[in-house]
This record gives sequence, structure tokens and C-alpha cells, in this order.
Amino acid sequence: MFDAGKFVDEQVKTLRGDLKGRAIIAASGGVDSTVCAALVSRAIGDRLLAVYVDTGFMRKGETATVDGMLKRLGVNHIVVDASAEYFVALKGVIDPEKKRKIIGEKFIRVFEREAKKFGAECLVQGTIAPDWIESGGGLRDTIKSHHNVGGLPAEMNLRLVEPLRDLYKDEVRKVARALKIEVAEKQPFPGPALAIRVMGEPTPESVAIVREACSIVEEEIEKAASAGKMKLPWQYFAVLLPVKSVGVQGDIRAYGFTIAVRAVDSVDAMTAVYSKIPHDVLETISSRIANKMKDKVNRVVYDITNKPPATIEWE
Amino acid sequence: MRILVVDNGGQWTHREWRVLRDLNVEVEIIPNKTPLTDIKADGLVLSGGAPRVGLDEEKMGLCGEYIDRSGVPVLGICAGHQFMASHLGGKAGPSKVPEFGKTMVTVDDEDDIFRGLPTEFVAWESHNDEVTLLPEGFVSMAHSDNCALQAMKHKEKPLYGLQFHPEVEHTDNGYEMFQAFVDICQAHKKA
Repeated sequence: MFDAGKFVDEQVKTLRGDLKGRAIIAASGGVDSTVCAALVSRAIGDRLLAVYVDTGFMRKGETATVDGMLKRLGVNHIVVDASAEYFVALKGVIDPEKKRKIIGEKFIRVFEREAKKFGAECLVQGTIAPDWIESGGGLRDTIKSHHNVGGLPAEMNLRLVEPLRDLYKDEVRKVARALKIEVAEKQPFPGPALAIRVMGEPTPESVAIVREACSIVEEEIEKAASAGKMKLPWQYFAVLLPVKSVGVQGDIRAYGFTIAVRAVDSVDAMTAVYSKIPHDVLETISSRIANKMKDKVNRVVYDITNKPPATIEWE
Repeated sequence: MRILVVDNGGQWTHREWRVLRDLNVEVEIIPNKTPLTDIKADGLVLSGGAPRVGLDEEKMGLCGEYIDRSGVPVLGICAGHQFMASHLGGKAGPSKVPEFGKTMVTVDDEDDIFRGLPTEFVAWESHNDEVTLLPEGFVSMAHSDNCALQAMKHKEKPLYGLQFHPEVEHTDNGYEMFQAFVDICQAHKKA
């Protein structure tokens, strides 16, 4: 069985030998990159700089929350606001693979800039097994290009260091608990963030709709779970669909978009079942989303597909 | 105990590695073009993969040689199972009804892989093709509503094939099935 304590000792030793100079780490505030930051910081201390990039696709309040968490973690870190660049780069882009590749390349260009300022040659990433498996290559089909693997540009000036490559999320969480990381139980959130929860062009307007919907889904599900009405799912969120349908809101015809609610149970993200959420919880989510979004959204659906045949995220 | 996982490009190849590692087996993933002379193992797992049997046979690399001449127990999973059947004179081809995700599997022949386990269980699937004709010397061990040959084994040789995926978390008793294969490898090593 996987031994988290042993893994920490071995990795810190390996990293100490491997990283002679300075390094930066791509830090999203999620469990994978935070565990990585803690490991590398144990190995090389202040020669590590954690870089959090605000892409403009972050969830409600996320940047401030992550900033505080990284401060408490005691790792050198900076927050880079690159949101303007990202919205420009994704103008008119609707293909999910194109979105992922543009976002992946943009991340690297930001990291190259920051690495140069800090004098680092290495980029540490919290890549885990499903990231490189699903990104494909060789015989393996590409299911989706994870921004940190399949989305990397062909040319980059940084050497990659990926201590968690062979681990799945449940094992990363074991390491996180061993290291007493506060985000050990946080739900997974993809690197391309809300850009891939908008089926279509991610504009400031479309992202704002899905941001609000995600926030309502998170609030209601967390509330129901803590009241003992349901088990907290592995991952739970909203997706904005480009499908319009007819409704009636305040005696007026409405013709708005659709929000899909997705919640799944999994252990390692390689297989997943949709969560059997109580209907009254779904109903509250549905009403809150439609009321809050007014004429922009007048229909809410629940996704009842397992993985396979679907994946957890929609893009 | 050393078992190698032959990578045919499956989404769950690394899961097979993980389950065997969790069972305290010394395990490595190897490309399916690894020369037989470089293989030192007590058993082999042929992973699933994107290659379609009948269309991309050459993408299955040296799997045929491993089945014929490695002299150790071999467990084929999904594409590995289909390839084993067609390589040994049976047939595999497109499923009338492909299966993705949750499926109920019924055990017809308990034998070594399913010994002591429930005879009906939830298995996770992901296949467009399936075995349509058993090769000579093989018996069927399990079926589902849409797939008659969910599991097969040779009557004398330690060759096994599973259409479903025992390596994923959502398949019931997958670890026990792998442990049964490890036991088979152990017994074969001693003999």
C-alpha cells in the first residue's frame, strides 16, 4: 500500500539533490500544487517561489482565498493578474482542445517571465497521473489535453519537475494529510478553470454567469452535506450550455441559456458515478440559479452520466 | 513476485500498475515493443488500449510473442483479452452493443479468478469491440446482458482474458481478482 510518510521523505531527498538552483512552482491553490509546494519548500526553502496566476476564470473569491492560504503555508509566493491577456487570447475560441492549448501556453509564458525575474531555471508542477494519461501520446488516445501536459508549448525555457506524476488524487490527499495541508480535502478544480465550464467562447459575461452558478451549486451542496442530507460529492459544479430554450418569467416570454449541474463521486477521477443528490437540494439549486440570473438563464438540468462514457468536466 | 504490465495505450494501464503495487508486487509498465529477451517476470498483464482489434493489430506490438513464448501466466484485459482471442485462433470484432461504464457481470465458471467472490457483480467497461468466438482450448467464465464473453481462460495453460476492467475503483472486488492472478503466478513460479 501507498505510504505517504515514506513518499515525503524520499521526495524531499530527491528534490534536494535535483534542485541546485532556484525554482518556481505553478500554484493554483488546489491540493496537488499545494502539496508540491510544501514538498519543494521543505527541500529548498526560500529558493522556491510559488506563482499563482489569476486567469480571469477563477471562481468567486478564489484569488483572495488562495493568497491567504499560501501565506499561511509559509511559502514564498506572488499573485500575477493576467486576466486581460487571457480574455484576449481566447477571443472567438470555442473548441475545447484549442482553449486548453492556448491556456497551457499562456501559463508557460507567464511562468517564463516570472522565472526570469526570480532567476529560476526549473518549473515545478503538481502534475498527477490522470493529467498525463488523459493527455495521450504514443499509443494512448488524447481524451483531453491537460493544460500542464498536453497544453505545454513545444518550445519552453524551463526544465519541468513533477514529483507527483505517479500519484492519483486519493494518494495526493494522503500526502496532504501527512503534511497537514489545509486544502487536503478541497474538491478538484481544473487548471483552465471556468473557461472550460463555458461551452462556447469564454467572455467576461459568460464566465460571470457560470461563476455565479458554480458558487450557488457549491453553497447549496456544502450546506446539504453539512446538514447530513447527503454525502459531499467528489466534485460539484455548474456548466453554461449554449442552448437556448423558451421560458416564462414574470408573465413575460423568456429565451435564455441553460445551466447544467454536475456532481460526481470518484476516488481517483479515472472512473466516476453521478451523485444521487436529493431532489429538494436540486430544486433549491435550480430556483436560486434561475432567479439570480434573471433572463440570462431560464432552464437548469442535472447531468446523470457516469465516467465513462462521459468525463467529469464537460470539456 | 514480479509482474509486468504491457502498455497497449489504455486509459487504465497505470491503474493496473497501481493495483499490483498496492498488492505488494514488484511491478513495472513496459512498452509493448519490449523484446521478449528483456522480459524478466513471473507474470504479464496485457493492458487495454485505443487500438481496435482487426483494424490495428500491429499496434499490439509483441503481445503475440509474449502469449506464445514468455512461459509465464498472462492476463489480457479489454484490448489485451480481445487480442489474445484473435491471436490464438478465435475471433474478436465490433460489439453489437458496446458497453461504457457500469455493467452487471454474471460468473458462469467460478474457477481461479472469481473463486469465493459474488457470482454477480458490478464491473466497469469501456469497449467498442469484444471476443465473438472463443479460441480452441478456452472456456468462457462470465457474461453480461450485451456481451457473451466477459471472461475466458485456457483449460490447461495459465492464460486469462477479461473484457471488463478489474483495475478501476468502481469495479467490485477488482483487487481480489488481481490477487487471484498474483496467486496463479506464485503457484506457477513454484511449479
